[in-house]
Amino acid sequence: MRQSRKYLDPVFLSKLGNMDLVARCAVEGFFAGLHPSPFHGFSVEYSDHREYHAGDELKFVDWKVFGRSDKLYIKQFQQETNTTAYILLDSSKSMSFAGDGKVSKMDYGSYLAAALSYLMLSQSDSTALILFADRVTKHIPPRSKRTHLNIILTALQYNRPAGQTNLAGVLHTIAETTKRRGIVILISDLLDDEADIFQGLAHLKFLKHDVIVFHTMDHQEVNLDYEGLIQFEDLETKARMQVFPQSLREGYRQRVTEFLDEIEKTTGNSGIDYCLLDTSEPLDRALVAYLSKRKRMM
Amino acid sequence: MSFTEWIFLLGGLAVVGPLIAHLLAKPRYRRLPFTMLRFLQSGQIESQSRRKLRDLLILLLRCVIIVLIAMLFARPLLHVRFKPSQSKSVYCLGLDNSMSMTYSDRRGSYFDTMKDRAIDYIRSAENNALFNIYVMASGDWMQSMGKEQALAEVKALKIEPGNANVEGFLSGLSRISRAEHKNDEVSVLVLSDFTPNTFRQFVNITEPIAAERIDYDSIVSPQPINNAAIVDAHVVGVVDGKLTINTAVVNYGQIEQNRRLTARTGANQSDPVDINLSPNQRKNYQLKIDTGTIGQQPSVLPVELNLSDGDGLRADDTFYLAVSVPGHKDVNILLTGDSERRLFLLKTALDTLSRTSSYDALRVKQVLMSELAPSDLEWADVIVSSTITEHMGNLVPEIENFIKAGGRFVCFVTEAIVPDAAKILWQRDILAALPGRCIQERTYIQPKPYNSKVSGVDHNAERSLSNYRIDKILIKGRFECQQHPDAQLIWQFRDGSDFIYLKRLGNGTSFLINTSVDDSLGSLTKSNASVAFCQYFLGEIHQIDRHCFTCDEQIMLPLFGRELPDSGKKQIWVETCDGRNRRASVADSSLLVPDPAGIGWVKTLGKPTICTGVNLPQGETDMTKPVASELAGVMDRVFKASAEQTVSEAEVFHDRIRRPLWKIFAWIIILLLLAEPAIANRLKR
Repeated sequence: MRQSRKYLDPVFLSKLGNMDLVARCAVEGFFAGLHPSPFHGFSVEYSDHREYHAGDELKFVDWKVFGRSDKLYIKQFQQETNTTAYILLDSSKSMSFAGDGKVSKMDYGSYLAAALSYLMLSQSDSTALILFADRVTKHIPPRSKRTHLNIILTALQYNRPAGQTNLAGVLHTIAETTKRRGIVILISDLLDDEADIFQGLAHLKFLKHDVIVFHTMDHQEVNLDYEGLIQFEDLETKARMQVFPQSLREGYRQRVTEFLDEIEKTTGNSGIDYCLLDTSEPLDRALVAYLSKRKRMM
Repeated sequence: MSFTEWIFLLGGLAVVGPLIAHLLAKPRYRRLPFTMLRFLQSGQIESQSRRKLRDLLILLLRCVIIVLIAMLFARPLLHVRFKPSQSKSVYCLGLDNSMSMTYSDRRGSYFDTMKDRAIDYIRSAENNALFNIYVMASGDWMQSMGKEQALAEVKALKIEPGNANVEGFLSGLSRISRAEHKNDEVSVLVLSDFTPNTFRQFVNITEPIAAERIDYDSIVSPQPINNAAIVDAHVVGVVDGKLTINTAVVNYGQIEQNRRLTARTGANQSDPVDINLSPNQRKNYQLKIDTGTIGQQPSVLPVELNLSDGDGLRADDTFYLAVSVPGHKDVNILLTGDSERRLFLLKTALDTLSRTSSYDALRVKQVLMSELAPSDLEWADVIVSSTITEHMGNLVPEIENFIKAGGRFVCFVTEAIVPDAAKILWQRDILAALPGRCIQERTYIQPKPYNSKVSGVDHNAERSLSNYRIDKILIKGRFECQQHPDAQLIWQFRDGSDFIYLKRLGNGTSFLINTSVDDSLGSLTKSNASVAFCQYFLGEIHQIDRHCFTCDEQIMLPLFGRELPDSGKKQIWVETCDGRNRRASVADSSLLVPDPAGIGWVKTLGKPTICTGVNLPQGETDMTKPVASELAGVMDRVFKASAEQTVSEAEVFHDRIRRPLWKIFAWIIILLLLAEPAIANRLKR
């Protein structure tokens, strides 16, 4: 378990370089720690039998086999494409922030996007990738073929953060251009006007999309653990500010907490799954959040 | 507030430095990219104002430190209104408890009178007054006492031997009036007999002492003073078993003294000598006392000299004199040489020495070198040879044995020495140096020996030689000598060549003196210094000596003739004048007694007893009354009313006093300097 969790560590993943390897490591590392059973979809096309294990649902027990052999077997089915996932990755300049200098929010988001793409395509879900800043910079339409993964991973690998965030506008654009409803996965630091963001998310929700928001934040953004006199420079606006962080820390944390609580509360009220991710933490929380959502959809 | 050295206030301009630094300094900061500036924005205004406040506070603190340092150097004085009603009454009493205060007349002793007056004075003071009492002979201050305690202390006062220490009293009084009780009313009372010695100490005071009220009382008898004192005694010598002592007696009183003087040691007493002294007359009287048989061993005789009863001060009627008597010793000196004529000057000098020697009997015998027999060597303690002859070379074993047995061999040189005989003596370790080539050059002797710490010579004679100007004696020639490896050079000529060598052999000593006993090579034995020079090479001659001290001197007991029981012992028990046993430390050939504890005898415990006499200091025996007008003038000069004083620390002006503030400033600066880093660090948070 511990060995497999290594592959979910963002610092470890950052050292791999190859996005394909990143996605494979992250997902397989994740499943190696979950359950001994391989992951299979539940569809109508028969795939295989396996022995019954405590906890399996009785509706999948093959009673005919039980009649013949007096043993309990579970019927397994070949998974089919049954949903479309839209992965929206924020590529604005603010995503390039790396508080401790190791893994930036952009890297973390890219690993997460890669892992989710790998996971989805291995379940034969159609997966789309949309990179955006103040507008959509890259749009890879949804496909369910396994080869589609290479296209997504290449786009992630060569993606560079630039421009300011215009999350609300992008969300409206995507809402208007997506024809088929599915799962919208937003990976962003949500550094935009809260009301506009909620309007954009509400727009997606209105179109019956299932929305998951992965809110990526750096540890320093949450805690402001700097010391001494520092001149902060905004990555997007280039605004500068000279402060003693230690004197502002308490108020800053309070305001950030209020901001995060507001987002969580508003998304919760709208039926949007919200997951706050710290870039220093492993990816498994995000994958669990996605799978639980996926399972609820089934 | 005012400043004594206001020029230093200009140093306060140094605040410009931190001000400029504050204005020009730019904060050092790190540059970091960040994303959530809007969350910092609202707190930033508060942070900036706080930072400015912090910088201002630190700047202010540093400026205050600089200004305070400048003010400290300017010596600030604070003007404070003086409130006499708040001051306390402080009484300082100087009470003379020296031995002269034991003088008694029909009314009683001076000391009792003084105590009564001190008690009356204390009783007349306010109940809440403070008393400081200085006991002049003891040199002790008893300070900050209440009335009852002061009375008890005065009643318990005792006479102490020793002079009244006026300087100790006045310096303590100065400290009290200027520092400890500078805002209080200080009253002074001096009670003393003001003997000339005490009075002289007051006269010598140059800096006046400030006090609110001055009282002094000269405690003297209204009747004429009746006092004679034995002030000194000297030992003349011992003749036919009788010790002769010259005694000085002074009549310090105003009444003619007709008394008897006696000396006593053990059971022996001298015949009394009648003395007759008119006022202020001094006379010497000779006393002879039978000492019994003087043995071979040295001893110390305690001799008490007494004046018969009859005056007011009895303490000076007895004089304690210890006389050290060395063991009887004859010294046989054998003079030898190649001719009688050559030895004439030296023999004359030795004869003179034998006459002046106080105790040792010097017997001089002259034998020609050619007639010198071994029996002569057996008789002699000292052999003085004018030259080195061939016959001397034949007597080498006898001379060697003579020296090894403790004899003293002194060899002069002449132009006629026999080199072969000299070489034999040198080779047999007898001669301290081997004379070689004769150098006919004029030179002079160094005024002091090359090695003045050498033992075996008489150092008193060495000092005498410098009085005889030995350095002016012309030496016409000398020998170039080769020093024996075991010998040491103890005196040189002025040109750096060698004059006297000394060498130890067995228990004896051998000298080689690089000049002649006649005037062929020099004028040494022809000069007045010849007697002292003979004494120098004959070594120390024991003499009768006296041992007596006054009680204010360092008491030293001679360890003359006494073996220390343990050579490593540093202290020996002695009995002091009060009859108590105290430790005395051993230093060289003496015992140092820290405190004689009175007058009388200080003696070692055990046998043989060594003692020394302790007597009154001379000033305490002179009971001459002070002249009232002179005393008043001196006391007026010594004690000034505080309104007239020149005060260095606190100056008084009208109803205000100026108190120095430098201590307060110094402490504030120290505290601020300590607090500055802490405050600066705290404000940065």
